[in-house]
Amino acid sequence: MFESFPEVCRSFGVPADVRSLLLLRKAMERDLIHTVGDIYSLMKGALVKDPTHIGPFTQAFYSYFVGVDVNPGERLSDAIERSQTFQDWLDDFIKVDEERVNMNMDELIERFLDEVHTTSYDIKRVLDGEDILENDNPDLKDRAGDGDDAANAERLLDRAADYRFVDLEELRRRMERVMEQQKGKHSGGSHWIGTGGVSPYGHGGAAMGGIRVGGSGGGKMARQVFDDPQYYPVDIDAHISDDNIDATLASLKGVLEETNEMLLDIPLTVKTGVKEGGLFLPIELEKTNDKLQVILLIDNGGYSMDYYIRPVQALFKKMKTRYAHDLETYYFHNTIYKYVYEDERRTRPIPIERVLSKDPNYRVFVIGDAAMAPYELHEGSVIAWGRFSEKFKKIAWLNPVSEKHWSITFTTTILKRIIPMYSMTPRGIEKAIQEMNKKKNAGG
Amino acid sequence: MAETSFWTGSESYLCDRELAQAFHMARVLGMPLLIEGEPGTGKTELPLQYAKNKDLELHVYPVGSKSTVDQFVAKFDHVKYLRDSQIEVLNAQREEKGLGTKLSSGGRSTEVLDDYVLLGPAAKAYSSPNSVLLIDEIDKAPREFPNDLLYALSHRKFVMPESGKIISVSEEDMPAIVITSNREQELPTAFKGRCIYHYISFPGPEIMREIVAKHYNDVDDEIVGKAIEMFYQLRQLGLERSPSTRELLNWLKYLKTFAKEDTIKKIQELDGLGALVKTQDDVKRVKRNMDLPGGGFSESKRFYQ
Repeated sequence: MFESFPEVCRSFGVPADVRSLLLLRKAMERDLIHTVGDIYSLMKGALVKDPTHIGPFTQAFYSYFVGVDVNPGERLSDAIERSQTFQDWLDDFIKVDEERVNMNMDELIERFLDEVHTTSYDIKRVLDGEDILENDNPDLKDRAGDGDDAANAERLLDRAADYRFVDLEELRRRMERVMEQQKGKHSGGSHWIGTGGVSPYGHGGAAMGGIRVGGSGGGKMARQVFDDPQYYPVDIDAHISDDNIDATLASLKGVLEETNEMLLDIPLTVKTGVKEGGLFLPIELEKTNDKLQVILLIDNGGYSMDYYIRPVQALFKKMKTRYAHDLETYYFHNTIYKYVYEDERRTRPIPIERVLSKDPNYRVFVIGDAAMAPYELHEGSVIAWGRFSEKFKKIAWLNPVSEKHWSITFTTTILKRIIPMYSMTPRGIEKAIQEMNKKKNAGG
Repeated sequence: MAETSFWTGSESYLCDRELAQAFHMARVLGMPLLIEGEPGTGKTELPLQYAKNKDLELHVYPVGSKSTVDQFVAKFDHVKYLRDSQIEVLNAQREEKGLGTKLSSGGRSTEVLDDYVLLGPAAKAYSSPNSVLLIDEIDKAPREFPNDLLYALSHRKFVMPESGKIISVSEEDMPAIVITSNREQELPTAFKGRCIYHYISFPGPEIMREIVAKHYNDVDDEIVGKAIEMFYQLRQLGLERSPSTRELLNWLKYLKTFAKEDTIKKIQELDGLGALVKTQDDVKRVKRNMDLPGGGFSESKRFYQ
């Protein structure tokens, strides 16, 4: 059941796979799932592994289960207000009591969310057959009865029958059917909230299945998520800036490396020594440590780059303070000939040979737009870049210019052939690092 | 069967609903709960308070940069083992020489390797059903640490070093495992995949009020309100190190020693700023933004006036 949910999540950028469904299944067996809100909580705990995913996950969830599609940057309340699901619910809601017309939109949305998250109609009520007991509506019977009259009759006899005592497999089968139906209605355009006068959201207005301790919550939280820029929307395809610098930092995580050093293994030495009758021979042990070596080559010539330099520096500085490792920064103007510069104002030149003589395991990030007049990128410069990519296997060019414009600039197309180029976005950086990690360390 | 009732906090601990639910799910599913969030949001408090409230056995493993799985699970005491085996040799020699007295090896026998296994918090928690295991600040650990835990988490068993004894626990008896992280380092995806994840966001003013009330119920409402207001203003300045709940509580502890009228004034003047803001740059920044003396900018303004 819900087979397509992981796929929907992935389409919103939240990594998800079939294991999450297995977990959901397990949770149902353990009696954890009673309401849509429970599914929200569980799936959130299982799928969201990073605060930046909370927003996209909530979006995916609302789209899949509630039929509310949120446009980029839109607040959840607004999305709900224009959704068909909400309008249908509202019609029914107002029908019950004319006074409700006067409620303000915020209250209504709050109510809607609460009901979405706490109503256990679709799962619990259908499962325990309460509908059939207390509701003569033929539509409902159709939905929940499954033609399984024997079971219903049984439960008629025992009004207090708890769904927990019903065979689990059967419950699941029923649930699947209900959910399938909902899915069908979903695509049919009228969404999953009642048709034919059957509103799952209760005529009395209150959540029909009642709020179970520990089984509710989420609606308000979901809403907070949407109104909180901390979670949403962090656009991992946007250029790095102060807003998504943390997301970028996360994408840089793969840049860390482990080194090996040899240490004397005292316990093993002692142990073997004892076995050898007091002859102690040193035994060495490999010790791994985190190591990070990064060279930054930044193009700070030309005003076109100004805007991007600060976030990039901030990013790597943050990384440095966090991991305290080697980070060297050099500057150049448009392209490299014979020198790079130590300082931002480019007054202290350093011959590129000095940079090229460094440990080949350094990771090199070139940050620049790679756009210049064709004559600037003459043979000497192309050779210089060639030496860099020859020496440092882990090299990447991060280009702040949008990827679709790369092919327009002649010099970009040339440089791209020499050094692998990625867009300067969290996603681009992540990709660059993945590619880098595929390259083996020299001499290691 | 492990304790799996829904727990919503105790008298001295306010457990956020979302967190309570995540914790509940994790316990029922027998999975560890991974809590991330800013410092000072009460990540560590959850398991401590839970264990205290429910009177459960608690095992804590504070993670540091040199943490290894050995310390966490169990390690073999090679030095003792060496000592005891030397003693055996010595005793044999003494016997040969006809000396009656023997050196003691403290009841341990080198034949029984289990005698030399020192159990770490994980092994202890796994061997006592229905306990609570806290792995605190896992982000401080070396990168391989969480990866090394994967096996134990998914198979619910540890193999003791040298002796090969297996400590395992059934899914039902799984201890409630809580792992906290300050996100100083990303955890491996595979590791996160085995946990129920919860991110604690920083509490809003209303909840902060409740938290304060749990700690100090003797402070005047108005003072708490004003202090909280000021606290959130400071947090909005984008300081290098934003003050957290802990700092606010310390500040209130200081403030509540004064009379009410004084206190309100002291809040406005940010008296006792040192309790809230911890770096020199931040102090300057606060003073500049709040237009307090010593902020540089406002002083020069006064000078020109």
